[in-house]
Amino acid sequence: MLPAILATTMFSHAAAASEISENLDISGFARGVAGYLDHNSRTFEGYTDELSIVEQSLIAIQPTYTFNDQFSLTSQLIAHAGDDRNSGLEWLYLNYHPDSAWHLRAGKLRMPFFIYSDSIDVGYSYPWVTAPVQVYNNYLFSTFNGASASYNHSGSEVGLNVEIYSGTFDGDIYLAGTRIDVDAKVSNLAGIVATINSNNLSMRLSYHTGQNDTTVPLIQDLREALYQNNFIESAQSLESSGNVYALQASLSYDRLNSFYKAEWIQTVTGFEIAPKVTGAYAMAGYIWNDWTVHATYSVSKYSEIEPVIELPTTPIGNPGIDQLSAAYYQAFTATPNGTLDSYTLGTRWDFRLDMALKAEVSKFQESRNPSGFFVNSGQSSKESAYLYQVAWEWIF
Amino acid sequence: MKKLLFFCVIALVFNPLQTIATVASNQIIIVANLDDHTDNLTREQVRNLFMGASIGRNLEPVALPPHNHTRSLFNAKIIGMAEQRIQSYWAQMKFTGRFTQPKEVQSEQEMLVYLRNNKGSIGYLTADTNIPQGLHIMLSSE
Repeated sequence: MLPAILATTMFSHAAAASEISENLDISGFARGVAGYLDHNSRTFEGYTDELSIVEQSLIAIQPTYTFNDQFSLTSQLIAHAGDDRNSGLEWLYLNYHPDSAWHLRAGKLRMPFFIYSDSIDVGYSYPWVTAPVQVYNNYLFSTFNGASASYNHSGSEVGLNVEIYSGTFDGDIYLAGTRIDVDAKVSNLAGIVATINSNNLSMRLSYHTGQNDTTVPLIQDLREALYQNNFIESAQSLESSGNVYALQASLSYDRLNSFYKAEWIQTVTGFEIAPKVTGAYAMAGYIWNDWTVHATYSVSKYSEIEPVIELPTTPIGNPGIDQLSAAYYQAFTATPNGTLDSYTLGTRWDFRLDMALKAEVSKFQESRNPSGFFVNSGQSSKESAYLYQVAWEWIF
Repeated sequence: MKKLLFFCVIALVFNPLQTIATVASNQIIIVANLDDHTDNLTREQVRNLFMGASIGRNLEPVALPPHNHTRSLFNAKIIGMAEQRIQSYWAQMKFTGRFTQPKEVQSEQEMLVYLRNNKGSIGYLTADTNIPQGLHIMLSSE
């Protein structure tokens, strides 16, 4: 399906965005990504030791209808090659530009967690084939329903951009790039993003919070059973409703022939079952004519979580209690509490104004296991693997 | 070495004006069509304006196309980024709906015509360009 759409689009469109009518503009982007994991028994971000082209390949169409100088309507429709991510309407929002400083949006929007999180599907917009997974693939959801307001102003020496948003989320959630089979709900979602830039140095700080109302059926059943058997503290330790906070900071520096970026995020919850998650990367890139080479170090770290010692830790001969104990302690031991380091070397060739080819190799190494990224991973050994990827990026 | 010197002398003898013009045209001027001819901008303001931000004045930035020599000079001296990084930036801005790319004209000549005909427009040219009456230089690159 995806190749057919790609071929049709490539041959029927000019290189630039198409202005269908005076008010309707259609643009889009596509990426073809192939990856191979050098590990014979593990899966990482959907990649195995068989060459795959479906994990991140996609095509998207973005129609924008302009009503007048101040109002427009934008939507984005994405077709993913893989089944793991839902294809369809990625965002749909009404724009209001009262002047060049203010921008208000309302509708289905992208979460502005990180520098590239709202353009993560537009591979052309960043240097990597895959943005550092410890930061970009460790967050739970990418869109929300609500509104945002942003204000920007450049003074004589410093530029400032501030965005605030508010809304709700109801849908699929992802952890380590994998869809989790729960109906996630986050209410009172709000955040602020501030970006300050001067002399090609840019600093971005953001704070995000929300009320998590997600229920995981298996955990919910276990909590009920614990309450019924009067293990109140144990039941309360499996609570997953409450506030979640995320704090992000990043620095970017651009020079004519080189660029540097560092980004950090920490997510904290009030739940005993959810560890604190920290992710970060630092990268440097060098540009020579149409070629870019870059190197990145990334890391993610989960904090330790401790179960309440209320249930017996060894079998006591009571099948009901022993089963409850096993399930309760298993819920804690199955939660990732490890550290994943990675080293990436990559290159990008901007061979056309609207297209780029990329290649990169990453070494992923658990310095403490389980990191949560290696699927089918036993908890007895630290995992390590090389991931090789090539990509073709196109904007139109 | 002698051969190199010879070619340099020949180049200067046969094409002195172009050589001098090339040296002069490595400087960029930011030109606007404004009533207030005393108004100036800093490099930071020009950079941010051409990267889509607001500087609190009603100015319409106008750009030359990628791979144009004057645009490359502007990228080097004002934006401080290579063309492919700027293209990546605009892809991000466009598909996240944040900022709109400046209007593009195809040549320096078209730039002059557009600036002269549109009050509030601002663009860039090489320093050796004859600026017609009505237009005002707001910044010269170092």
